[in-house]
Amino acid sequence: MANVVAYHRPDSVDAALDLLARVDVNSKVLAGGTQLIGRNVDHDPFEVVDLQNAGLARVDLGESRAVIGATVTLAEMSAAAGLPDVLRDAARRELPSTLRTLATLGGVLVGGEAESEFLATLLAHDPIVEIHGPEGRRELPLPQLWIEPFHLDGRLITGVSIATDGTSRADRTARTPADRPIVAVVGRRGVDGRLRLACSGVAAHPVLVDDPMTLRPPADFRGSSEYRRQLAITLSRRVAEALS
Amino acid sequence: MTAAAVISMSVSFELNGVPVTIECGPGEVLRTILRRLGCFSVKFGSDSGETGAGAVLLDGQLVSSDVILAAAAGGHRVETLEGFSEKREVLDPIQAAFVAVGAFQSGYSAGAMILATKALLDRDPNPSEDSIRDALSGVLDRETAYVKVVEAVQRAAALRRGERLPPFGPLILPPLTDGVNAVAYEPAPTAPGVSAAVPRLIPSRDVPEMAVVGKPEIKVDALKVARGNPAFVDDIELRGMLYAKVLRSPHAHARITDIDDSLAVALPGVQAVKHYKNTPRVMYASGGQSWPNPYPYDQVSFDNKVRHVGDRVAAVAAETPEIAAEACRLIKVTYEVLPFILDEREAMLDGAPVIHDEPDAVEIHDASRNLVHHIHAQTVAEPELQAAFAGADQVFEQHFRVHQVQQCPIEPHIAIAWLDEDERLVIRTSTQVPFHARRMVAPLLGLTVKDIRVIKPRIGGGFGAKQEMLIEDIVGHLALATKRPVRLELDRSEEFMASRTRHPQTITYKTGVMNDGTLVAQEFRVIGNTGPYGTHGFTVQNVTGLRGLSSYNCPAKKFDCKVVYTNIPVPGAYRGYGAPQAEFALEAHMEDIARSLGRDVIDFKRQNWVKVGSKLDIVMFLGERGTIEPDQVDPATFPPIMTSGIEECVAQGMRAIGWHRRDDQAWVAPADRPHIRRGLGFAFCMHGTAIPFLDMGGCSIKMNDDGSFNVTAGAADLGTGADTVLAQIAAEVLGVPIEDIIMYTGDTDMTPFDVGAYASSTTYISGMATKKAADVVRWKIKQRAARILGVEQPCSIELHDRRAWAPDGTSISLEDIGLNSLHTEDHEQIMGSGSYVSSDCPPPFAAQFVEIEIDVETGQITVVKMVMAVDCGVAINPITASGQIEGGMFQALGYAHTEEFAFDEHGRMVNDSFGPYWIYRSDDAPATEVFLVQTMEDSGPFGAKAVAEIPKDGVAPAIRNAILQCTGVAINELPFTPERVYSALHATAKW
Repeated sequence: MANVVAYHRPDSVDAALDLLARVDVNSKVLAGGTQLIGRNVDHDPFEVVDLQNAGLARVDLGESRAVIGATVTLAEMSAAAGLPDVLRDAARRELPSTLRTLATLGGVLVGGEAESEFLATLLAHDPIVEIHGPEGRRELPLPQLWIEPFHLDGRLITGVSIATDGTSRADRTARTPADRPIVAVVGRRGVDGRLRLACSGVAAHPVLVDDPMTLRPPADFRGSSEYRRQLAITLSRRVAEALS
Repeated sequence: MTAAAVISMSVSFELNGVPVTIECGPGEVLRTILRRLGCFSVKFGSDSGETGAGAVLLDGQLVSSDVILAAAAGGHRVETLEGFSEKREVLDPIQAAFVAVGAFQSGYSAGAMILATKALLDRDPNPSEDSIRDALSGVLDRETAYVKVVEAVQRAAALRRGERLPPFGPLILPPLTDGVNAVAYEPAPTAPGVSAAVPRLIPSRDVPEMAVVGKPEIKVDALKVARGNPAFVDDIELRGMLYAKVLRSPHAHARITDIDDSLAVALPGVQAVKHYKNTPRVMYASGGQSWPNPYPYDQVSFDNKVRHVGDRVAAVAAETPEIAAEACRLIKVTYEVLPFILDEREAMLDGAPVIHDEPDAVEIHDASRNLVHHIHAQTVAEPELQAAFAGADQVFEQHFRVHQVQQCPIEPHIAIAWLDEDERLVIRTSTQVPFHARRMVAPLLGLTVKDIRVIKPRIGGGFGAKQEMLIEDIVGHLALATKRPVRLELDRSEEFMASRTRHPQTITYKTGVMNDGTLVAQEFRVIGNTGPYGTHGFTVQNVTGLRGLSSYNCPAKKFDCKVVYTNIPVPGAYRGYGAPQAEFALEAHMEDIARSLGRDVIDFKRQNWVKVGSKLDIVMFLGERGTIEPDQVDPATFPPIMTSGIEECVAQGMRAIGWHRRDDQAWVAPADRPHIRRGLGFAFCMHGTAIPFLDMGGCSIKMNDDGSFNVTAGAADLGTGADTVLAQIAAEVLGVPIEDIIMYTGDTDMTPFDVGAYASSTTYISGMATKKAADVVRWKIKQRAARILGVEQPCSIELHDRRAWAPDGTSISLEDIGLNSLHTEDHEQIMGSGSYVSSDCPPPFAAQFVEIEIDVETGQITVVKMVMAVDCGVAINPITASGQIEGGMFQALGYAHTEEFAFDEHGRMVNDSFGPYWIYRSDDAPATEVFLVQTMEDSGPFGAKAVAEIPKDGVAPAIRNAILQCTGVAINELPFTPERVYSALHATAKW
């Protein structure tokens, strides 16, 4: 059981930031709970700042981009008309029915799991992460969030803006159709004709890929480094062909 | 709302339409709160929520309550299965549909499934099958393969739309063969338009029509499961109960040089700490088997050495689970870390670490070489065997490796122990073997058998993992030490690392064959990996030998098996019990021989497989009681096959899978998907039914004054439908409907003895015991009825329709007979008991077919369809029998395809959770079709043979053979994960 010593449910982003700004208090943001509560291995006590009432559960559709609030769940994204089909499908695939109703965009982003096809799909759609902190709002390219997690110290992810135009395709290799892919490749050809390929399962976090031949993936029991590299090459070719 | 930091807090929400307010800790999850509020349908499967057993509806959405803080549910609307039960006499259409189709086996996750269905149908009254499977994707079910669950959801949707539905029952199909001989294959649909959930039943003319047996009766336990009634181990509340936690080894192999529990003992709330320094050292074997337990005795409750990551070090009983966990962290253990081995092929090498160097272990064959057993059996003397090989036209030799997997019951091991008012120790435990557990735990606790009562309530799946005395000693020690109730439940990681698993094996087959396809000699060599403890090591490997050398006729056979210690998590019993390993290798080996000889694989196997009248020679040389030499056995005593429906199984299966497509290159290599190959595979399956002269069951039946009957049996229903099957047998004999039978099983104080639920024995052994007990009661009823009706010959009385009938057509109700016997004349409790041990082991047969697709560029295999046609004699209940087959195949699919233990460089399992360890989900499941081919097995109750384990045998070899058929690549190691398949394909020039 997570060693939670207090629970807070702020009514706004500013109230949440105030809670996070407290000195000498170990506060953690509760986005959906699938990771903070479900996979907790930390025995140190902490206080929970639950964002469910912070007003971040909206999907705003624009002409060529959409802004998805940080507490929008995967289930809500999978049902959101107007989002790219490949993203909706990836949101559905990310977790089973009992957990995707809880897991939120913000939580999945912070998790940054290497084999997340959903995150690879976001990457392919030119994501800009919105962060709020004491100094106000700022934007960050998604990969930078994983490389420099200190950007979240005392701050909150409030949403992500993604491109919704162009054409997208995905392909993957997994043990079974519903299993998390060993490697997945998601491609998007923008209206400018530029092809953007993102890949999961080949690095510490999902990455944009120019040349999959150059990848040096980490290995685990589901796939050696070389096998993952070969999958990235094969799947990238297929996705590129599908978008050609 | 912004709460201040507090230790406990008040949370208000709406529960099943009623406002509730409860005090809880800020870290408590919703599941524990709901259970505290009496919602016992909300189950524990894992802390991370991926089993879905604890799923509830939160504002109408399906969510895992394991990962929701109770505080986060404040202000929301929560629904559980208990909310369906307001009007107990009326089932909701969803509940009714699940009951009607037999969708529940154990029903451990019944609440989650029903709520998932409600959430889906509330937003989509007419869902597609894909939508249904997606809605159920978060509720892991290790039992049903989701076939009947999907059917239930579809029926529930129809009921909610106001449609009227026909009763759910089997589809009767005409036979394609005469029951004995093969027929030429002709492509044709078998059951077009009929739901896959409907079992296809091919009747036998030898089977008489019966009133209850053979009918798709509703399970006797269906209602309590559908309503979520508290029936499982954890569904009780005991005042003053303590929570136990086990400190486990972080090392694969280490000596404990010291243990200091002082900080743990001093922690407020800790009531007891047990470890090797304060616990008697009593050697035992933990496998739940008949007395005397097979050697070696190589375990103690707490040792000063650990032999695998997850091994026991100490156990704590404390006021809360959190205090118990903290106390475990405070125990200081000093380890001398030792080298370890995981691979059975390395266990006997020079210089390998000796895993059991303690002087008091009993009957290890050669501890210095980690050799637990050397099992050797052959049907002819060695010179004769070698002569047979020398005389063969061709000799084939192949090597195989099969891996470690886990049973994965969604209900983990759990036990609660307390001292009753007579100061006897009561252990309420999730076990398949209550009587064995009682006998085995007694000496460890310094008690006698009569000092202990073991209660097996409803079990949330076992599959062999609970054929073990695994944690009962721990709760026993702690309850005796504290004089308070103590509860221990394993978490999911412990269930993987500290429970039981399937034995890995390294296998060699060598077979001598004549050019006409006749087998003349077969040698089967196995290195069996029993991990750090012997437990089922001897008997599982025995069954490997039996199953590996029984399926095909061959005049000279030899089995040589070395069972070795390693430092992997402990293997034990797992449904199939050594057969899946053997049959994977055997069916692969036979496939390859057929191809080498240029023979059709089914024809070649048919030429050699055992038939009615074939003698099961190897059976006489292997067994739980040990092995014997060829000259000690008279071949005339070899047991023959008495029934086999295999030809009908093959004919039905070929047609259902569309066997002709494997020769159609346009189908095998579709032009529009150039990287895809399609394959069909076949495996011949043969299993056993109980263990002759060893498996024993008892049953007692008494008549009540309304003409109903209490049936008490020692058997353990794990969700398999055993209670229903026994009730059907009793009802058939006693001439009553099944609802007049009240079942109670698995309680060492209240029911007769039974070895428990294993070895495919319950229907056959406990069923015969039930039949014998019912026969006694039937005779007493007939005697009394004859007296009342003035009939001279009681044997002329017939029982049916709840009445006793005289030849002249007069009758008396069983209620009147009950009243007469208990209240009016010649007072007597009409009751009877029966027990049964078999001298036979009639094998069920089956034909397993699969259809697969391979992505030859990536190695990914997609299993498209599985078909199994099974001769299980007479299926006492075709619905529960087909459910067993569906679920068994589904587990076998995981064994073949996805499941495996993976270890890091320290010998620690790295995938000890669902997800990384992948068991198939509802949205993964291939199409599944089941055929029940009747034969009349005279030795079984009403013609029944076993059905529970044979579906574990054929899936892996059938997939392997399908890969071979469409790619030409043979893969002799499991599982068929993408990289393994990719590597095999790309090791050949063709790909």
